[in-house]
Amino acid sequence: MSASQIPNLNTLRNARGRGRGWGHPGTVSSLPTGSEEDNFAKDKVVQQTDQDASVSRLSAVETGYLDDPFAKYFVSGEGQRRFPIINRGTYVRTKAIDNLVNEFLSKDPAQEKQIVSLGAGSDTRFFRLMSRRPVPHGRGILQRPNVIYHEIDFQANTTQKLHPIKTFSELRGHVGSPVSFSHSTNSSEIYNDDTLHADQYHVHPVDLRNLDPSRPAPHGFNFIDTALPTLIISECCLCYLAPAAADTVVRYFTQHLFPNTTPVGLILYEPIHPNDPFGKVMVSNLAARGIVLQTLKKYGSLEAQAARMKSYGLESTGGASVKDFWDKGVEEKEKERVAGLEMVDEVEEWDLLAGHYCVAWGWRGGPEDNVWEGWKMMAEKLCRN
Amino acid sequence: MSDLDKAISELRACKIIPEPQVREICHKARELLIEEANVVQVDAPVTICGDIHGQFHDLMELFRVGGDVPDTNYLFMGDFVDRGFYSLESFLLLLCLKVRYPDRITLIRGNHESRQITTVYGFYDECLRKYGSANVWRYCCEVFDYLALGALVLGTSSTLEPSFTDQSQAIEPVDDDVEIEIMNSRNEVTARFPRSRRRLFESDGLNSSPPGTPSKTGPSGTGATSDSGGSHHSGGAVLCVHGGLSPLIDSVDKIRLLDRKQEVPHEGAMCDLLWSDPDEIDTWGLSPRGAGFLFGPEIVKRFNHLNDLSLIARAHQLVMEGFKEMFDSSIVTVWSAPNYCYRCGNVAAILELGEDTSNGGVISRSNGDAGRSVQAFTPNLAPRSGPGRRYRVFEAAPQDPRGMPAKKPVADYFL
Repeated sequence: MSASQIPNLNTLRNARGRGRGWGHPGTVSSLPTGSEEDNFAKDKVVQQTDQDASVSRLSAVETGYLDDPFAKYFVSGEGQRRFPIINRGTYVRTKAIDNLVNEFLSKDPAQEKQIVSLGAGSDTRFFRLMSRRPVPHGRGILQRPNVIYHEIDFQANTTQKLHPIKTFSELRGHVGSPVSFSHSTNSSEIYNDDTLHADQYHVHPVDLRNLDPSRPAPHGFNFIDTALPTLIISECCLCYLAPAAADTVVRYFTQHLFPNTTPVGLILYEPIHPNDPFGKVMVSNLAARGIVLQTLKKYGSLEAQAARMKSYGLESTGGASVKDFWDKGVEEKEKERVAGLEMVDEVEEWDLLAGHYCVAWGWRGGPEDNVWEGWKMMAEKLCRN
Repeated sequence: MSDLDKAISELRACKIIPEPQVREICHKARELLIEEANVVQVDAPVTICGDIHGQFHDLMELFRVGGDVPDTNYLFMGDFVDRGFYSLESFLLLLCLKVRYPDRITLIRGNHESRQITTVYGFYDECLRKYGSANVWRYCCEVFDYLALGALVLGTSSTLEPSFTDQSQAIEPVDDDVEIEIMNSRNEVTARFPRSRRRLFESDGLNSSPPGTPSKTGPSGTGATSDSGGSHHSGGAVLCVHGGLSPLIDSVDKIRLLDRKQEVPHEGAMCDLLWSDPDEIDTWGLSPRGAGFLFGPEIVKRFNHLNDLSLIARAHQLVMEGFKEMFDSSIVTVWSAPNYCYRCGNVAAILELGEDTSNGGVISRSNGDAGRSVQAFTPNLAPRSGPGRRYRVFEAAPQDPRGMPAKKPVADYFL
């Protein structure tokens, strides 16, 4: 296991203040308030899950699962090889979301579109889309898309993200020009820029919990075009918020920022099934790392996720576990390629682990723009038994 | 106290022993193992264990639940190393016990006892971390090459002896009719399955557990293997392998003919024995693991019949309930790593087979011999009477209650 990539628990314990225990798993989430220090430490743990994800991404790239020349720029320090099932999981989750993104972008390609990635962290999807050379896709061709891409994350994470973008021309070249880097609160801190605005790419240092319809929108949000068909992605992000806070974030976009007439789609990647033996151990293991999956109880199944989408006003839904995506959503030839990369001796464990994560999607918007046609097909293909 | 006993006591405390001593123990172990046949003959009574995977504290729990060496005879079906944090301590302890009590403990090879697999799944890294060089890993791998490929348990009883109990408890005899008994880690019986009522279960449509037993602890397919316990008391021969069968192997004798002293090959009979899995398919199928095969009920029943076996015991696959009988109890999976990888939430089990004392201790040697294959095989021939089987189910060893030990295992998730 990759213990060296896991935050050192003792340093975190100190950061939480003296004489305070970790509390019991599950009770941490039910504490709405705590000392500032306390909340800061909790946020830090969540922010650090991004490094965990980017190390996993690099491992999957270096082992040949994913083609992502940008992954290496976002890993600070040494990369680490992950176990085959973790690599496979990273692969399937990335492909599942890529497929949904591609279906969205490839319909009516001349139509400008928009993606809002919540808690994007060090995600490389923007760079992968922008560096794309035309490739065949279905009956058409996947081009470099006509899309405006927004990433929203904690200031700590956006600062970390902008550093390699400023440093490496391999990244910066895809951002396009003109580009402006800035610091959201202190303009003299040029070395710690946390904000980026370019024609097609925007990085917003915003704590999602501060989004509130009754308050003015964060500065950079005027770059969000509320008329464009828009895809919102939460890849293991909203699950760290309290259910009500997570709902508020989504509704901020679906009901406040975007008018009802704008087609909006949402992709959620989250854990599910907290109550079986594997799920219980997962909850308690993550709690021991200070990670609390707050929405897991409320949205702990595909059915609950579908109902959740509807409650956001996204009438049409699809959803599948990571295991289902592997079983039914990956073409046989590709599956053979991937299975051949590493000897996976963790077959039963894979079924368990992959069965406890899902990708759920929901959308609204009329059939006239057709933009969700691929999503509907994916829902039919994967949700059919 | 001899050096070996000292090493055993250090290892029991989960401490590593000096490199020169590891070298010496590995050397001695090889001398012992080289004398063993590919299929070791083991006499009942014996306790059969599945994967350990470096979960040292759970191995200690296993010994607590199953009895200590040398009081209890053990047969470990491989996968001692990888995944867990204490592969070294676990494997070296088992090896020391093997050298110290060679007749009391049998170790056979699992697919993780291989150079290639241990470099991916943790044992190599662990050796490097704990010794600063790969020497100890090399010594251990040399031992791996000499481990037997299977074991044949003879002299089993069709009935169950009473379990060892606390002094305070009265010894309660077990009805001769009981074929399967399931006990928890507190030495309490949680379920019993009689032979004669097998038909009753089946007519109830219950392929898992009879009414009144906890549904989650019941094995699937605990149908008994024989029409009646009757007057004979032999439970037949039990073949133990890590993975399962091979399309290249139709008799136990063919296993005996393999040249085993090598790294586990990528394909072929030796590879299959360590990698294959039973599955509900007609005959043979491709394995999702990329090595070995899947094999179905007819393959197992035919193999058992032709080789005069009453049961195949194997490990290799995580089963949430610790054990799982399949194909009308012709094969069982035993899994001995609770909460596997500190993540899976499963319980573990060991399988106790009692000794048949009805024949004055004389064991029929014909079991497992070839020769029966010349007889015509009738697919629907009733399988022979199975041994009485006691499964002891146990959970993961409790973690340090004081909080977080520095080496608290950390499991990976998709974050």
